[in-house]
Amino acid sequence: MNRCIIQGRFIFLITIIFFLQHYSSIVFAQPEKSLSEKSESSEKRYERAILWGERFYQLHLNTLALKQFDKAHKIKPGAYFPTYRSNQLKIKLHQPKNTNLGFMVFDFNKPGILISALILVILFSFTSMVTALTIVLVNRNHMILAEKRKQHLREEYQTMLVNFLFAKDINEELIQKIRRIASTNINRRILIDQMIDLSITLTGLEKERLKELYLALKLDQDSNKKALAKKWHIKAKGFRELAFMNIHSANSEIINCLSSKNDVLRMEAQFAMVRLNPDNSFGFLDFLQKRFTLWEQLNVYETITFHHLELPNFEKWLQSDNDSVVMFSLRMISVFKQISAYNSMLSLLEHTNPEIRNQTIQVFGNLKIIESLPHLKRIYKNETYSNCMTIVSAMGKMPDNSMLSFLKLVLDKEDDVQLQIEAAKAINKMGEEGSVALTKLLNSDYKNYQIIIKHVLDKRIS
Amino acid sequence: MDIFFDILGYIVNNFVFGLTVIIFASYLILALISAIALRTYLRKNSFVDYNNIILAPLTPSISVIAPAFNEEKSIVDNIRALLSLYYNNFEVIVVNDGSTDNTFKTVLEAFDLERVNYFFDYRIPCERIRGVYKSKNRSFKKLTFIDKVNGGKADALNAGINISKNDLICSIDVDSIMEPDALLKMVKPFMEETDKKVIGTGGVIRIANSCQIENGQIKKIHLPEKFLPRAQVLEYTRAFLMARMAWGKLNGLLLISGALGMFDKEIVIKCGGYSTSTVGEDMELVVRMRRFMAEQKLKYQIIYIPDPLVWTEVPSTLKILGRQRNRWTRGTMETLFKHKILFMNPKYGIFGMLGYTYWLLFEWLAPIIEFLGLLYFVLLIIFGQPNWYFFLLLLAFVYTYAVALSTWALLFEEMTFHKYEKRREVLKLFLMALIEPIVYHPLTVSWSILGNIDYLRGVRSWGKMEREGFKNHKGSKTT
Repeated sequence: MNRCIIQGRFIFLITIIFFLQHYSSIVFAQPEKSLSEKSESSEKRYERAILWGERFYQLHLNTLALKQFDKAHKIKPGAYFPTYRSNQLKIKLHQPKNTNLGFMVFDFNKPGILISALILVILFSFTSMVTALTIVLVNRNHMILAEKRKQHLREEYQTMLVNFLFAKDINEELIQKIRRIASTNINRRILIDQMIDLSITLTGLEKERLKELYLALKLDQDSNKKALAKKWHIKAKGFRELAFMNIHSANSEIINCLSSKNDVLRMEAQFAMVRLNPDNSFGFLDFLQKRFTLWEQLNVYETITFHHLELPNFEKWLQSDNDSVVMFSLRMISVFKQISAYNSMLSLLEHTNPEIRNQTIQVFGNLKIIESLPHLKRIYKNETYSNCMTIVSAMGKMPDNSMLSFLKLVLDKEDDVQLQIEAAKAINKMGEEGSVALTKLLNSDYKNYQIIIKHVLDKRIS
Repeated sequence: MDIFFDILGYIVNNFVFGLTVIIFASYLILALISAIALRTYLRKNSFVDYNNIILAPLTPSISVIAPAFNEEKSIVDNIRALLSLYYNNFEVIVVNDGSTDNTFKTVLEAFDLERVNYFFDYRIPCERIRGVYKSKNRSFKKLTFIDKVNGGKADALNAGINISKNDLICSIDVDSIMEPDALLKMVKPFMEETDKKVIGTGGVIRIANSCQIENGQIKKIHLPEKFLPRAQVLEYTRAFLMARMAWGKLNGLLLISGALGMFDKEIVIKCGGYSTSTVGEDMELVVRMRRFMAEQKLKYQIIYIPDPLVWTEVPSTLKILGRQRNRWTRGTMETLFKHKILFMNPKYGIFGMLGYTYWLLFEWLAPIIEFLGLLYFVLLIIFGQPNWYFFLLLLAFVYTYAVALSTWALLFEEMTFHKYEKRREVLKLFLMALIEPIVYHPLTVSWSILGNIDYLRGVRSWGKMEREGFKNHKGSKTT
């Protein structure tokens, strides 16, 4: 068992024992003589109440002590000691006899501080309940009205923007009209959103015109202000707006955020860099230290394909110190079929990270680089289970008869059924020679072969 | 003797009161953490375009596994709904767990299935597979249908895991209705993985009673008309938006609901799959996976998504709801006792120190203490003289706090997803918040106590769960 647990539990046990010992030494300090007696005189009951009252008093169990002294006081109303202790304890407990709630007086017979705390919590709960309900109900109206207003403005802006973009000449009157409407912050925000949405669908002259309008309305100042804001979500929005409108004014701030701890901000900065820096779109990969997550990779890939950006040669990042950058490069090499990177990829088969080796093997298979087969065969023996599966699967993707004996060996020698199935699948893809080999095995006595091969030959199982 | 009762009374009073204060304080803290986490989530989500996942070739592959037992009435619609989920790289595995009705035949005919020569690799032990079926119709090529000997839900899920080809598995109750974009939202945290491995994701479960359903998809959302399902709406909103969101943020979440959860298949297999010896297999798997990762000294996290991802029909009669809650209590106890090593164990981090302890004290013990407190109060009335003023003050404290908590949950819902559009529905839920502590809560406590008793008696069965079915809902249509 972990040493920490033993230590923790030991300390817990010692604490319990200490308290038990401490409390029991006080409680059971004197023999209990009169407790078992059935009929007791009032004197005995008085003594016992005083005795226990004092014990509780010593243990700082003031409520219990007070109860005992009150009991003693009832038995002997004239006795000094219980009255003295009782008053002393009441002061200690801050316990007035009655609690005045303003409109009524209650005898809670509990410490005043407790009563006050409870009343405070009740008031807090009630107030927060009413406030929350009011917000919920008011928010409904507010949301409906705000949405209606937004919708109206969106439609109005869209018509004006389309009229402006497709007019023969620049319509100054229209610009003034848009400027008038977009005089408030909310309206400007809606206008910017509309222009961004529109910019996605535009190219060429219209896109340039939209940018001119953006600058004429000084909306770039809004975007710049956002890009320099302290709050990450405002900053990220600013980056996005500047990237879509192709405005470079906040590039230094964007570069600063490429290594931000905030994943969204970092991603928006990457996205903006890819858009705003056409000469070196992927320059950020050179110095990216944080993990380049699959989600970020996917978004960059989407940016490349959606905006038809010029592709770099991803081979140059295959030797990056950042493994996630290497993974991204391998994925891009595979997607964009950059076969020229073969030699650089070959060295990755010796990489210390098994995930990179796995991705490299996958790329060889996807790009059907037959030259890699002897290398895959060579590394098979020392690879992880997952990588062995990928190697066999890759061999199936680039069928070559020279691998038939190797695959037969995998089918024959491996204990793992998944590997055997994958090997049989790869053999099946090797044309006539593969089919003959499988048929031979199908007729063999080994029952497992028959089931595996039937499984592989069943075309309904994809 | 009277001193003994004085001491006992003192201990019980202070213990119950102290625990109540701790529970209420923890609810407040969890609500605050949830509020912060929800705000961050919504802000981050405003930058997300899920369409990117649908189109990109880099997305991970998913196997959706749906165990089915006697579902002949709704299974065809539900499978169709699963096949039309928004994702490009997934398969649907439906496991017929030895149904005694016409589930098998219905699916076979509806999807034009035929038996294939499947080599079944029992990587995780499960009951015998009678056959694996694929469709002759290429439109249903994503569907794999397994027919097996009955072994329970966990066993059926294990069979599905054995056959799955993909890296991620998504377990779902076949009678639940997934939001079309649920897979996109659940897979995203796996793609955002950094130095901590994401081993599972779970999301919010919503209540579909009284909703309008067409061809296995939610068309119109309504608040349940019956009392019990409506009370559960409030209960689910509180649990999912306030408690689980916070535990997700603290990385101490113990439960991903069996109605919908996505897991890393490799880790699930290494952990031995779902346990067939418990009635709370969903919770047990999450706890075991967490233990496994901590014991391997691997950094990991389980992500909770506050979006409503799946809709399910909840019990609407006392009998069925009682059985469900009884089973939940037994499942919780089985898991907590099986993994008792986690208790206050720093080796397991926040999960061991806080998550497990919270479940032990507040999810399992709290109803017992509540019940004992009530019993003590009854004894006090019978034998002594209770302090009525103080009792009423305490009652007001507990009641107003409970109602306030429910109202905050309604506020959270309003500020995030506001699925109930009509103002009348919000007011009805608020009215339920006022009634719930008096009417519904005592019922849940009593079912929990019965669950404890049944556990001690050695009851290990699921109990028969009957559902009304979505076809009875107003305006609902099936194919």
